[in-house]
Amino acid sequence: MDMTTKNPQELAKERRARLQAAINLEEPDRVPFCGVGGDIIPAYAGITQKEFNFDYDKAEKALEKFLKDFPCDWPFAAGVTGLDGRILSVAFAEYPDLALSSTFVSGPMHKTLGDKYYRFPGMETDENASPQFLGGTFMEPDEYDDLIEDPVGFVLETILPRACTNLDTPRQAMTTMVRLGMDFSQFYASAAKVGMASAQLGYPSLAIGGAYAPLDIIGDFLRGISNTVLDLRRYPDKVKKATEALTEVIIKYALAFKAIGAELAFIPLHLNEYLSPKLYKEFYWPTLKEVILTLLDEGIKSLVFFEGHHEPHLETILELPKGWGIAYFEKTDVVKAKEILKDHSCVMGGLPITLLVGGTPASIDEYIKNLFEKVKPGGGFILAPSVGTAPRETPLENLTALIEAVEKYG
Amino acid sequence: MHEELFNKIVDMDEEGSIKLAKEYLDGGGDAQKLLNVCRDAMGVIGDKFEKGEYFLSELLLGGEIFSSIMEFTLPLLKEGDIAKLGKIVLGTVKDDIHNIGKDIFKAFVEAAGFEVVDIGVDVPEEKFVEAVKEHKPDIVGMSCLITAGISSMKNTVEALKEAGLKDFKIIIGGGRVDEEVKELAGADAWADDAARGVRLCKELLGVEG
Ligand code: B12
Repeated sequence: MDMTTKNPQELAKERRARLQAAINLEEPDRVPFCGVGGDIIPAYAGITQKEFNFDYDKAEKALEKFLKDFPCDWPFAAGVTGLDGRILSVAFAEYPDLALSSTFVSGPMHKTLGDKYYRFPGMETDENASPQFLGGTFMEPDEYDDLIEDPVGFVLETILPRACTNLDTPRQAMTTMVRLGMDFSQFYASAAKVGMASAQLGYPSLAIGGAYAPLDIIGDFLRGISNTVLDLRRYPDKVKKATEALTEVIIKYALAFKAIGAELAFIPLHLNEYLSPKLYKEFYWPTLKEVILTLLDEGIKSLVFFEGHHEPHLETILELPKGWGIAYFEKTDVVKAKEILKDHSCVMGGLPITLLVGGTPASIDEYIKNLFEKVKPGGGFILAPSVGTAPRETPLENLTALIEAVEKYG
Repeated sequence: MHEELFNKIVDMDEEGSIKLAKEYLDGGGDAQKLLNVCRDAMGVIGDKFEKGEYFLSELLLGGEIFSSIMEFTLPLLKEGDIAKLGKIVLGTVKDDIHNIGKDIFKAFVEAAGFEVVDIGVDVPEEKFVEAVKEHKPDIVGMSCLITAGISSMKNTVEALKEAGLKDFKIIIGGGRVDEEVKELAGADAWADDAARGVRLCKELLGVEG
């Protein structure tokens, strides 16, 4: 990652070609490397998490500093910060311009909504804690029919007022929504600035949209995780119908990203690890698959983050057409995954975040060497941390060692 | 009844097993025997999980069935009647709010015969120290699912040491712990599944499994 000899455009072109080759299941000039983000970014800039989340100016500078000093091919995890706001994407699915803006809930948006889904530094938690998604139970089992009947209406008119204290009365709701619109604008203005700074640093621009597994909307935002898993046994037909009703809505909001030329849709999975193959194939995969296939038809590949252990369900990925997108794994052994998925899916992951935090430059070097021996041949692989958020105490020399090891063995 | 109930629990028949357990007690059945059947069933569910036959969905439901039955069974038992293998103070560490794994582990380790003092989630070091002072456990269990929790565990272990507390073992668990994290935190054992965690707790105290 020699920054001195290449100009930003050349560098960006080179990095993009590297990523593109991997996504196209070819062997790039070097294994592409997707960098880390998280608490380490404000810590490195010497600002608090509160500042990072609420002061766009400081956040932009912190991101720029980090991206400059710890280069990678694809800074997927290092962007303007916010938490998953997919419930808003569902609520605004009928209005593409709004759906587009609601993937993330930022600190200011959380403040505006007064919601119970999130906790932000300096508000509900310590100034230096990372922002937190809590989820919760905002829907009762006897409401599945309402959800099935009209998912958007139910979420917008029943769930959001329950989950957001500042939507209690119509009067409050109106001001809250106006403010939220302003927050959206500021967030995206900031994202655009970071995008420009990244381009200056030689990072390729790669527009990313979002989608979700329908059952995860229920688990994360409506019924809560445990309840949802229990509901699969208690009310199987209703849950299934609800995932089907949500599929259409999710596709609608995901397609809104065509307007910004999205090439990829990021889909993080939550309930996959919980489910037996039988439950997975019955309640989770069919609708997720429909989302992925429909987006593919429309020219958007998916970047699916298979959180936790996905080993029991790996074979189902083969049901997708070759070159459907990127399979990003967290705890699943990428070497095994690549064996099963080679020449079919681009595989991403491979670097345990615990190694980055607890390892040494020598152990990281050794690890990357061994890993690359196994996953480099044949291409179609992107190195990424198992989890994008590096904690504040991540030793900086480990990050540097990682970058060097990728250069050396990639 | 025993075999039928055992099978119903292992087969995840929530309604059927709770109904049967109630009927058994209403008909004058022995609460201690009922407890033993439930414990055996939970043991088998844990085994099946370790063998890859069962998944988290089954662990979660198994835990739920066990707790539902215990709710009306435990009050019928006298304190001294319930043999205890040991006492565990259990909590999810500071800055981490994931509770499901902790709760599943709790259900299974209780079913195995341990007494658990659950001190919740996002538990600061001081609260662990207080709980250990108050309850004098044999084991301190920390659940941690996020990387930021690693330093919380380390700090908790140090805080316990600084308070001069010892004579207990420390086990950490949760999806993101491994040997590396165990060393870093200064714990005695780690487990990223409940069944293994139960086995390790027994090993730490040198009791037969
Ligand atoms: C469900 C989930 C949530 C739910 C939590 C619901 C709840 N009330 O618990 C919600 C959606 C709310 C959530 C929120 C967040 N999550 Co979350 N979440 C998950 C998910 C999908 C599953 C976790 C889980 O419940 N697993 C199932 C349980 C049963 O497994 P387990 O905890 O490992 O427990 C088992 C064993 O480990 C053992 N065990 C557990 N505890 C103990 C203790 C002892 C002593 C022993 C012996 C054994 C033991 O027994 C259990 C049964 O076998 C994981 C990804 C994944 N698939 O793992 C991400 C994950 C854990 N979450 C993550 C993150 C980052 C968050 C957030 C911080 C996101 C955010 N920025 O807001 C917030 C949490 C805020 C906070 N500060 O804690 C990351 C953590 C990354 C990291 N390494 O730092 C993960 C890995 C996702 C990811 N890949 O990015 N999450």
